[in-house]
Amino acid sequence: MTLTIRTAFIPILLSVTLVHGAAAGEVVAVVSAKSHIGPLSKSQVADIFLGRVNRFPDGGIAIPIDQREGSDARNLFYEDYAGKSPAQIKAFWSKIVFTGRGQPPKSVANEGELKKLIAANPAAIGYIDAAQVDATVRVVP
Amino acid sequence: MTFQTVAVLIAALLSAAANAQSDVDPGTVRADQSLIASPPPMFTFGGFGTFGEVHSSRHDGDYTSTSLKPNGAGYSHNWSSDVDSLIAGQITANFSSQWSAVVQVVSEQDYENSYRPSLEWANVKYKFDADFDVRIGRTPLDTVMSNETRKLGYANPWVRPPLEVYDLVPVIRNDGLDLSYRHLVGPGTNTLHLAVGRSDSDLPLLPGTVGVIHGRKQLILTELYEQGFASARVNYSRANVTINGLEPLFDTFNAFGPAGAAIAANYSFDNHVVNIYAVGASYDPENWFVMAEWGHIQAGSFTGNNTGWYVSGGYRIHGFTPYLTYAAATTSTTTQPAGLNVAALPPSLAPAATALNAELDFQLASIRAQHTISAGTRWDFARNVALKFQLDHTRVDAGAHAVNQDLQPGFPTGGTLNLISVSIDFVF
Repeated sequence: MTLTIRTAFIPILLSVTLVHGAAAGEVVAVVSAKSHIGPLSKSQVADIFLGRVNRFPDGGIAIPIDQREGSDARNLFYEDYAGKSPAQIKAFWSKIVFTGRGQPPKSVANEGELKKLIAANPAAIGYIDAAQVDATVRVVP
Repeated sequence: MTFQTVAVLIAALLSAAANAQSDVDPGTVRADQSLIASPPPMFTFGGFGTFGEVHSSRHDGDYTSTSLKPNGAGYSHNWSSDVDSLIAGQITANFSSQWSAVVQVVSEQDYENSYRPSLEWANVKYKFDADFDVRIGRTPLDTVMSNETRKLGYANPWVRPPLEVYDLVPVIRNDGLDLSYRHLVGPGTNTLHLAVGRSDSDLPLLPGTVGVIHGRKQLILTELYEQGFASARVNYSRANVTINGLEPLFDTFNAFGPAGAAIAANYSFDNHVVNIYAVGASYDPENWFVMAEWGHIQAGSFTGNNTGWYVSGGYRIHGFTPYLTYAAATTSTTTQPAGLNVAALPPSLAPAATALNAELDFQLASIRAQHTISAGTRWDFARNVALKFQLDHTRVDAGAHAVNQDLQPGFPTGGTLNLISVSIDFVF
C-alpha cells in the first residue's frame, strides 16, 4: 500500500523538479569583466566556494560570494557545480563553522547586488542566472 | 536542572541574541561597501542541537553514547532522551582578517547527570595567511575522523557515530596550541594538523565517586588529503594519561600483600603513555556515500588495548538518506585475569578476595568487544532540520559487557543488545 503511493509520487516529484529547474534557468559562474583569470572547471569553481582553495590557478586571491541561502540560484549552483543538495552544503559548512575552522562565503541578498560587487572587484567570483549576464561581468569559461 | 529546562533557557537566550541583530544579517555584505575594505561582521552567532529518544532491549543496565555519561536507556529509562540530546551555542568574533575567536557552550547530560552547560571550545585564532593558522585555547581533539563533529548530529549521516571507533577515545578536548597548514598537492588539497596540550575529563566510574581522565603532554598529528569527492586521513596521537577514580579498588588490592600490590600496580592508571592510531577514508559523490574508519588505542591497564573499525554507506533519494553500517571492536587485553589466588588465602579473607576479583573483571569487561549492524535513514524534511531513525543490533563477545552503566547485579558478559533510536538534528 505504502509502496504503491511512494512509487506514484516519484514521477510527480521529478516533474516538479524539472519545471522548477526550467523556470530558474541555468546558473553560470561569473567574475568581473576586469578579471584576467583563465578557464576554470566546475570542480575548480566548487573548490573555491567550498573553501578548499582560496586562489585562482594564476595565484590571485579568490573571494567567493554566495547568493542568499534558500535562493534558487544558490541551490542550482551547488547542485550543478558541486553535486550537493542544500542540506549537504549546510552540513558541510556546519562541520567547519562549529569546529571553529572557518566561515562560509559572504552572501548577498540578490543578483543585482552580486553583480555590482563582482563588477567592482577583480578578485570576486559569484554565480548568476545566465540570462542576467551583461557587460560588467564575464562568464567563467 | 533538567534537559528541557536548559533547552528552554538556551532557546530564550538565542532568540534574544537573534532579535538584537535582526536588522543585520551577519552573513550578508552590503553592495555599497567595497568588498575588501569592508571588515567581516564582528560577531556571528549560531548553534546546533539534537532531540533524541533511545530504547534498549536490555533492562539490566544502561546504554550510553559515551563513557562520560552516567545513565541512559535500559535500566534507568525505558526510552531515554539523555543518550543523544544536546544543545549548543557558538559565538565567533572576527577582530581583523588575521585575528578571530570562537566560544562554544554545550548543554548535555554530564558525568553527574546534570545538564549544566560546559565550555566545549574557546580559542583565539591567528591566521599567518589564508593557508596557515594557529589556535590557542581549548580546541577539538582531532583523533578519529569525526571526533570534532560527533555531537553535531546534523553533519553526520547517522543518529550517532559507531561507538566501536568513537568510544575508543572519550576525550574530545585539547587545551593548548593547535597548528593547521594547508597546501595544494597535485589535484587535491593537503592539510597537516598538529596540536599539543592537555585535558581533564570527568567521568562516572565507581558509584558515588567521580573519575577524572587527566591527559598530559597530548600530541595530535593529523594528515588529511581531499580531492573532489574523496578524502583520506591518517592520525597519530599520544598522551601521558592518569585516570583517577578506581583508587578504592586498588587500595583494597594493596591490602592483600605482594600479590595484591602486583595486581594494583598492573591495573592502576598512573601516568601511562597512551598511543592512538587512526585511518579513515570517505567517498561522497552526488547520490551516495561510503566511508570507513579504523582506530586503535594502546592504553593498557583497565581500559586495555582496543581496536575498532566500521564501514558505512548510504544512498540519497528525494531528501531521504537510508544507510547501513557494520562496526566491530576487538581487544587483545585479558578481560578475565586470574586475580588473587583465593584458594591460597585464609578462609576468612576468601569472600573479600572473590569480591575484589569480580570487581576487577567487571571493570575490564567494559572494554568493548562486539560487532554491530546498524540500519537507518535520515530525512531532510525541512531546511536545517533532519529527522533520523536507526536500529542497531549488537553481538557482544564473551568477557565483555553489552552496556557500561548502571549494571545490575548478575549482569552477564556476552549476549546481544538491540536499540531503537529516533532523533531530530538541527542547526541555526
